[in-house]
Amino acid sequence: MTPKNILKYAYYPGCSLHASAGEYDLSTRELFKKLNIGLTEVPDWFCCGATPAHNVDELLSLSLCAKNLELAEQVDGDLAVACAACFSRLKTTQHVLGESDVKRKQVEKAIDAPVPLNGNVKHLLDILARDLGLERLEQAVTKPLAGLKVACYYGCLLTRPNDVPNLDCVEAPTIMEDVLKAVGAETVAWSHRLECCGANFTLSRPGVVVQLSHAILDSAKSAGADCIMVACPLCHGNLDIRQKEIEGVYSTQYAMPVFYITQLVGLAAGLGADKLGLDALIVNPMPLLKQKQLL
Amino acid sequence: MKKKKMLLSAETMDVSFVRKVEALSGTSVRRCFQCGKCSAGCPMATFMEHPPNRVVRLLQLGQWRRILEGRSIWYCASCETCSTRCPNKVHLASIMDALRKLSWDAEGPSKESYVQLANKLFLQNIRTYGRQYEMRLAAVFNVKSGQFLKDLMLGPKLITKGKLKVFHQKNKNMTEIEKIFSRIERMRENGEAL
Ligand code: SF4
Ligand code: SF4
Repeated sequence: MTPKNILKYAYYPGCSLHASAGEYDLSTRELFKKLNIGLTEVPDWFCCGATPAHNVDELLSLSLCAKNLELAEQVDGDLAVACAACFSRLKTTQHVLGESDVKRKQVEKAIDAPVPLNGNVKHLLDILARDLGLERLEQAVTKPLAGLKVACYYGCLLTRPNDVPNLDCVEAPTIMEDVLKAVGAETVAWSHRLECCGANFTLSRPGVVVQLSHAILDSAKSAGADCIMVACPLCHGNLDIRQKEIEGVYSTQYAMPVFYITQLVGLAAGLGADKLGLDALIVNPMPLLKQKQLL
Repeated sequence: MKKKKMLLSAETMDVSFVRKVEALSGTSVRRCFQCGKCSAGCPMATFMEHPPNRVVRLLQLGQWRRILEGRSIWYCASCETCSTRCPNKVHLASIMDALRKLSWDAEGPSKESYVQLANKLFLQNIRTYGRQYEMRLAAVFNVKSGQFLKDLMLGPKLITKGKLKVFHQKNKNMTEIEKIFSRIERMRENGEAL
């Protein structure tokens, strides 16, 4: 491999990946190792503040993200982010501080350091689809996901806001489908791929989450999907962990496995269930994967 | 909700507040021409008494008290659909943020304190641990909100699946994060930041 082909990144996992979304972290590390992409965790990163911080205190939210951008400077390479919410917050911070001198000065005072505004913040999808490239991704496939019908769920934050340089088209993104097709899966066309799951209301307003997530599960099911693929730990929590509860409330049954992108791509790259943390999923994916002869 | 008649007069139209909202959100409230596109796409509009377009209209008319008295701002999920679709580049999601901050600052009684409570605990966790401690977040929330039984059935399963960590790694650099919080507090006290 020529040096320019060696990809390496600073890695910002975010809080959920060190807790409830451990399988997203595990499968990301294993997949990237398999693909020869280097990941070095940003030392001593902090919580980005997610939705609660900017919900009530923009300056705090910007400062927390700016601090993380500053910490990431210690590691070589662009910043790789797994969580859709962290990704949106870090990108938004760069954008807002680039536009407003007043806010940048306030934030620099709060963190007592200059904010690096030119570093690239990249979502894992971006790295897989563009930096590595679909062609090389295809070459890494040892077990194509043939016959698996996947509903790609973007949720809200992956491609938003639209005034910030984007991962993909804000209203009609295809990057998840592109990646999945490269590893041999089928993707379904469905209505709710950009609708909100209720996100952080999972703590304070579970009833809202149940209602919104039900609509998403229902749409995926009626489009003929075998499973849903997500890129966000919160979406995952709402669709996977709460699925049983949703089935109870609506007296229905979905039994719809919800995978992280790195789990499905990892499967196609030949990684085993243990390296992808498949046993941590609440809706058991094994029957589906066995039926499709993928395990 | 019972319809209250809206009286527009010098006393009821408080536009200074709107200027604060504009300064905080960095967006223009006046640009909105009420096409309703924001509300059409808003997943939470059915839970709000004032859907997003009406929030903007009430702001234009200086009727912000009506907004803060209600639950609309606390039912916004920050999904950014409104801002994404507005033909006039009104960044409604930022307006919602600004309204929540102003409501929080005023610390007036909010009917939607559950959401505020969850947000507050989340930020406290950052100040204490540097990162989120989901187990503690859920436990403290349930105790403080009096919902002892809520999600009780989810807990054990999540722990056996390794999804809720009983022990939590604290960030090593806690003095750094404390400094950020206190510097911001000081800047606010000195009037250097909103
Ligand atoms: S989409 Fe924009 S212009 Fe249309 S009602 Fe909403 S804020 Fe106003
Ligand atoms: S950001 Fe809030 S107001 Fe805007 S569409 Fe989403 S939930 Fe509705």
